[in-house]
Amino acid sequence: MCSTYVFARISNVLKMDRRKFIKNSSLASSLFFVPSFVKAFSDVITSKTGYKRLVIIQLSGGNDGLNTLIPFRNDVYYKARPTIGIKKENLINLNNELGLHSSLLPLKKLYDQGYVSIINNVGYPNPNRSHFRATDIWQTASHSNQYLQSGWIGRYLDNFNQNPYAAIEIDVSLSLALKGEVQNGMAVKSPNTLYKTTQDPYLKKVVEHYEESHLSEHNLGYLYKTMIDTENSAKYIFETSKTVTPSQNYPNNGFSKQLRTTAQFINSGLKTRVFYASLNGFDTHVNQMNVHKRHLKTYADGIDAFVKDLQSKNTFNDTLILTFSEFGRRVKQNRGNGTDHGSANTLFIIGGNLKKPGVYNEMGSLEDLDDNGDVKFEIDFRNVYATVLKQWLHVEDNVVLNQSFNQLDFI
Amino acid sequence: MTKNHIQHLYSRAGFGIQPNLLEELSTKRREEIVSDLLNQSKNFNPLLINTAEFDTLTFNEFNKTNKIHRAYIEKSKLLIKELNRAWIHKISNSKEILREKMTLFWANHFSCQDRFILYIQKYNNTLRYYALGNFKDFVKAISKEPSMITYLDLKQNKKGKPNENFARELLELFTLGVSNYSEEDIKEITKAFTGYDYDFEGNFIFKEENHNDDFKYVFGKAGHYDGDDIIDLIFEKKQCARFICTKLYRYFVNDAINEDHIEEMTNVFFPNYQIEPVLLFMFSQDWFYNPGHIGNKIKSPVELLAGISQTIPLTFKDTKQLLSIQRMLGQMLLYPPNVAGWKGGKSWIDSNTMMTRLKLPSFLVSDGKISTKEKGEFHDTYKKYYENRKGENVAKASANWEVFNKNYQNIDIEALPNYLLQCPINQNTKDYLNSLSKKSKRDYCVQLMSLPEYQMC
Repeated sequence: MCSTYVFARISNVLKMDRRKFIKNSSLASSLFFVPSFVKAFSDVITSKTGYKRLVIIQLSGGNDGLNTLIPFRNDVYYKARPTIGIKKENLINLNNELGLHSSLLPLKKLYDQGYVSIINNVGYPNPNRSHFRATDIWQTASHSNQYLQSGWIGRYLDNFNQNPYAAIEIDVSLSLALKGEVQNGMAVKSPNTLYKTTQDPYLKKVVEHYEESHLSEHNLGYLYKTMIDTENSAKYIFETSKTVTPSQNYPNNGFSKQLRTTAQFINSGLKTRVFYASLNGFDTHVNQMNVHKRHLKTYADGIDAFVKDLQSKNTFNDTLILTFSEFGRRVKQNRGNGTDHGSANTLFIIGGNLKKPGVYNEMGSLEDLDDNGDVKFEIDFRNVYATVLKQWLHVEDNVVLNQSFNQLDFI
Repeated sequence: MTKNHIQHLYSRAGFGIQPNLLEELSTKRREEIVSDLLNQSKNFNPLLINTAEFDTLTFNEFNKTNKIHRAYIEKSKLLIKELNRAWIHKISNSKEILREKMTLFWANHFSCQDRFILYIQKYNNTLRYYALGNFKDFVKAISKEPSMITYLDLKQNKKGKPNENFARELLELFTLGVSNYSEEDIKEITKAFTGYDYDFEGNFIFKEENHNDDFKYVFGKAGHYDGDDIIDLIFEKKQCARFICTKLYRYFVNDAINEDHIEEMTNVFFPNYQIEPVLLFMFSQDWFYNPGHIGNKIKSPVELLAGISQTIPLTFKDTKQLLSIQRMLGQMLLYPPNVAGWKGGKSWIDSNTMMTRLKLPSFLVSDGKISTKEKGEFHDTYKKYYENRKGENVAKASANWEVFNKNYQNIDIEALPNYLLQCPINQNTKDYLNSLSKKSKRDYCVQLMSLPEYQMC
């Protein structure tokens, strides 16, 4: 879409009568609340760079990074983990230093093609080891002693893309990450269900009767705006995404369903920049071997189908998948053959357009640990966010993150 | 006092008002009505659920093995869900409406979460007990609650091993507000709050051996302060009163603050920090009833639920479903997002919560159906839409329409919006409503509750 066309469309839209407009266009009611140059700006970028999308995956509960990416030449690792340490013969060798958990074979295949970048020791100063708090910190991109009430993706929407469907969480409710100060993303578990909830005849009539001139910035006006936006967005998402069917068989679990829906959205050309999905169950305090193996397999098999699905429609090169967990786990195993909450962790970036595939940086020392016996952080997670915002979404990262962070070099 | 003003008072200080009470009060003066409202909340009735299994539990039994410990924690988590349900029920049915409204306020001020039922139930009742009392005593009590000691790591804060979490939030979120203290103050205050602990029964214990008895330098003063001394020092600052009054103003009056009115409140609150008198003052002012404030606040999810239940009493049969409703609305009581609590106002609203709010009343009271029968029509044209939806999303709650029928029997159907809505209906929406058949008060009630206007109070 070229920029002159965008301007032409916006000015036409503004000339149109509100009601006619709502009927004619499914995707633009929020235009009235955003200065048109902001809108045009975000679409101009599109025409230059292709439609880049970011998929964020949270492994909830605190994934055990050291049993995901294993330093199998390090005796300290096996001493700290006498019963749960993964033996050399059971892992997938990456570079004669590090190996992947055997469940991650699909990831190894992507790795060999240069589609994976592994960033080690990602964390932040004074780490918090509570699930809730640590999740907050990652989702709001705050300091560890700072409480923010908006998420980093939410602030991206606030400043650069005020469409509710510009950021979609594949779930029934919305995480803090997607809540802005003024603009929130949307939670869509199933486009069909969401569409149906907006098709209530009474509510549709109320929307139909509403007139632009009555929309105000006051609270009630805001409620009407949200109601109208939602109906339009739900219709747009439903009608756009139904044109596409998955090219892959996905495993039958909730996580893969989220990825299948994400692929359907991406492959149908939905103008969504950010997708958010999550996989639960990584809080492995007790007898972790089997549970962890199962969850990693769910993750890797889902990613495998997802990437193939995207590749079949040539959208993989414009998609970046960021996988994180709110914290890593303690180096030393506990007495229950599990691991307790730790801090710095390994982060996976998957994409067809990586500048520096492979292992991005060395794994941190297992001897020089912090006071709790956790790996010390080397790279602030907000360096990763800043890089993604600037290099991938092409926006000013400091506006979203409230300060400047150094750029990394992976995309 | 005008009916409009009484409704405003009751929607802010409580969760709405019944037509008969409104009628009765409309002959009284403001002073009388406000003081009655406060008097009704004099009593303190704790929120208690059946915790028999935990009441006689000993520390040794609780920690006998890892497995037993985990099983108790799981049971405790289930009971916390029951406590949530009991709380929602209390909010909708209590006689002490202002005390409940304030308990909600404080639960979001002293935002806290726990997985041990006895401690969080105790915590919740501490909020309720001090809700209208003395704020200084309140803060001291909160600092000694097991749930708070755990939530903000006070137990880990020992002599020589400082943990600043509690000290920072005490200043930033509980008393003074951000940028009204220095980082040095936090470090010194952290020293004073050492030695805090509790026993298994949840009684506060001061552990002398963990306490740092050094000199502390706080706000330009020095002494061998302990935690309570620090709270006394904080409360000498008028900023503390101002901070709380600003929050009260946002909660009861308007998100957009008026500095002069807040200063008036602050002068009432400082230096004694009695909560009830400042509320009495606020509800008595002409500015509280300024037309710009009336019907201009977005209800919190709990206010929305309580409001529906006020008009059509609801009984939730399934705790899980009640929790899932709260989750979808974005406010699960006892599960705050973090120590900063819920932000409130417009941030309650996103695409999903908006649709949930609009569909919630019909889901709870009329099997998901909102009538679109037009004037002169015998059948609902959209009957077919609903036929396709049978069996979807059944509400596991019973709605007592008898109470509605009785309370509204003398109310003219055309007058229903005056009782159910706090703000005028948007003109276009009104035109649409006027085109609809107005034969059934029940249908009209559901139609009104399903509007954006119903989200306002």
